[in-house]
Amino acid sequence: MSEQPRLTTRALHKRFGGVIALKGVDFELAPGEVHALCGENGAGKSTLIKLLGGIHPFGGYEGEITVEGKRAEFKTPGDADAAGIAVIFQELALIPEMTVAENLLLAHAPIRGGLIDWNAVYQRAREILNEAEIDLDPTATVESLGIGQRQLVEIAKAIGKKSKVLILDEPTAALTDQEVKALLALVKRYKAAGISCIYISHKLDEVFAVSDRITVLRDGSSIITLDASKTRESEVIKHMVGRDIEDLFPRRKSEPGKPLLRVKDLYVAKKSGEQPFLQNIDFEVRAGEVLGIGGLMGAGRTELLMHMFGVWGVRHSGSVELDGEQVKGQTPQQLLDKGMALVSEDRKRHGLILSASIGFHLTLSKLASVTQSNGLINDALEHNIEEKLFKSLRIKARDLETVVGTLSGGNQQKVVLGKALHTGPKVLLLDEPTRGIDVGAKIEVYELINRMTAEGKAVILVSSELPELLGMSDRIYILHEGKASGPFKPSEVTQERLLAAAMGKEREKQAS
Amino acid sequence: MNTRIPLRSLSMLIALILICAFFAVKQPVFLSARNLSLLSIELSVTAILALGMLLVLLPGHIDLSAGSGVGLTGAVAAVMVFDARWPAPVALLLAAVMAVVVWGAMGALIVRQKIPAFIITLGGLLVFKGLHWLVIRNQTIPVVEGGKENIYSLLTTYYLPPIVGAGLGLAVVAAQVYSSQSARKRRISYGFQVDDGETNFLKLFVGAQLVLLLVLIANQYRGLPLAAVILGLVAYATHVITQHTPFGRYLYAVGGNEEAALISGVPIQRTVIGAFGLMGLIVALGGFMETAYSGASTSTVGSLMELDAVAACVIGGTSLRGGRGTVPGVIFGALIMATLLNGLTLMAVSPEIKYIARGVVLALAVWVDVKLAGK
Repeated sequence: MSEQPRLTTRALHKRFGGVIALKGVDFELAPGEVHALCGENGAGKSTLIKLLGGIHPFGGYEGEITVEGKRAEFKTPGDADAAGIAVIFQELALIPEMTVAENLLLAHAPIRGGLIDWNAVYQRAREILNEAEIDLDPTATVESLGIGQRQLVEIAKAIGKKSKVLILDEPTAALTDQEVKALLALVKRYKAAGISCIYISHKLDEVFAVSDRITVLRDGSSIITLDASKTRESEVIKHMVGRDIEDLFPRRKSEPGKPLLRVKDLYVAKKSGEQPFLQNIDFEVRAGEVLGIGGLMGAGRTELLMHMFGVWGVRHSGSVELDGEQVKGQTPQQLLDKGMALVSEDRKRHGLILSASIGFHLTLSKLASVTQSNGLINDALEHNIEEKLFKSLRIKARDLETVVGTLSGGNQQKVVLGKALHTGPKVLLLDEPTRGIDVGAKIEVYELINRMTAEGKAVILVSSELPELLGMSDRIYILHEGKASGPFKPSEVTQERLLAAAMGKEREKQAS
Repeated sequence: MNTRIPLRSLSMLIALILICAFFAVKQPVFLSARNLSLLSIELSVTAILALGMLLVLLPGHIDLSAGSGVGLTGAVAAVMVFDARWPAPVALLLAAVMAVVVWGAMGALIVRQKIPAFIITLGGLLVFKGLHWLVIRNQTIPVVEGGKENIYSLLTTYYLPPIVGAGLGLAVVAAQVYSSQSARKRRISYGFQVDDGETNFLKLFVGAQLVLLLVLIANQYRGLPLAAVILGLVAYATHVITQHTPFGRYLYAVGGNEEAALISGVPIQRTVIGAFGLMGLIVALGGFMETAYSGASTSTVGSLMELDAVAACVIGGTSLRGGRGTVPGVIFGALIMATLLNGLTLMAVSPEIKYIARGVVLALAVWVDVKLAGK
């Protein structure tokens, strides 16, 4: 790497009021290099790319950023853009109602005679998509596209602007395996064309598949830069958490008791009058058991949990029994009372009231437990309960009054879990409980699952991560297009076989 | 660490002081005991409606029909008293029950049939206005026969005897000191952040002075107006409801994130219908007071009051998207709106200019708040 680096940062420091977000980040990106940034949530990855993208403007930080040897002073995202740096955030900046072409050329549509030249717009959009080697219809509206395709639109936008540095923030968090493969292939092709890429992901297999070097951030500092071809995953994890992790999945088996949840021949449609999407679902979960449910995005995992929890779909036939009682048509409030709780996949949408405090959340689902006979909430009692949950979940925050919107993903997830735990559930439905949270917090979630089953509760664990599913479940079902295959025993099944089942191959085999 | 009162919460206080200083200089009678007493009555109606509005804004809705509702409920009660010769307490009770039922029904339409509150209550604004004019047949219906008094007319004409008012003021101050000290102790024991001793004392001192000052000034005129006492009670009740009951928590949860609230087991329908039911009760109360203040139900009573209520909430830091807002903030916002109207009226400003001035102040206040929030 004797060439001039495309981008460097030196001794970057950034603070938000009293909180230090970055305290010394040294980073170097070579031309045509894919450089991964790894680190737990809160390690400073997001802050770093916001500095690089001009979102936190020059003057608000210490240290130096250079682009191709020249000192960069980005005051706006537009400045970073002009310097050839394109950041693609998790939350995409697209307008759903507009077409792909309109989104691509939003800011600089070709004008003729004071009006937008629509023919030129579509032609230019086609050129950009060709150049980016992305196969998309420029006349399709963005809302008609899947998440993966929407991401491609953002990437095409960056390529269209002749960006030299592409920064991808958790680009695969919501993608199917196939989409992930396509995206990684695309990154490699851009790399061959000399475009540098900063790749941020929690998924280490992707990081190793695509990157040349890996820089680990921890607590706002750059810890080490590793050569990807000479490094093992465990080493990266060690640097991320700052300690060795012997066992990622510390599942402790407990003796299964009586069945707490029984699902029989369940057929559920999205709306009345439609064909059932979930078909012939049949399983039971016993006290002390973890039932794993896998499958690709859109296979019906979330829908199954949401249906059991009374917020999705119209049941055609079949039954759900919670500890011997029929569940049909109850509201979440009634189900929580009966002992079922759901921790949903999308924390920010279904789990949290971002403007409210930690304490507000912890008792929200069962305020009756802290309400006196005169209808008022007993402050002291409530505080006691909240303090216990706060400590036992090891939520990292100043105190119970901290607003949850300011917490890291892992701590937010602990708040959602605490909210469910306070209801004293017999059956806990966990939908991707470790998505987007760091390794340390993941292990704490696993420990919590162990604690739940040891207390005789039943857990359903939905996960896209096969190692997690294999490591934490006692039995596994795989959903594909609303149909289940299984059960699989974790000790007797490979990742490959589960993946095949998720792609629909297992059912074909069973059918034949 | 020394706690500073953030500029953002001070900015409205500064604005209020500036507004008062302006009127005091331009129109010295502004500071007279009589005018300040009247101002406290005008404030009471605006603030009570704004507190109701807070209850529907918190879960993310709005009530545009409040002003028309004020006119209608006041008219219904007036007709029952003056035309039908029913006892005033019965008339007030019936009109209040009617309002609770109608507002509850609007809440049910909003949350069950998924019609936006904006539309339902906009419809309510028009329907109630029409009904109001029908009920009074476009005439002037007094709230009591000439020269007599009843509980309806006394709402805004009764003043507490000075000695009772003074006692009440002292009791309120004592309660303030006690509750704030015990809350402070509790927060310290929880390890929460508290103001340092000095700031804490200053806040209490200013609060206590304001209450005692109000009593003193009011006693120089006719005594503490009953309307101000009613406002105190409504404010206290609203504060307790929003901060210390499960229903209050639900209001914030629904407005903060309805989907998350549903999954968390919050009874969304009951919460929204409850908020509108309470709004109905408050509209009725505001309607009686506003009508009593005018002495009779006329076709203009209550007109556009919903906008003052929304403005007071917004100035006081309530979010129109829901999930954010407090009782003290709303009272403050109402104080600014009521002071402005009172002062402009004293200066004999024409109605045209009054509207323009209030609109400008509203926009200005929110602009300053947005600017300071970004800091």
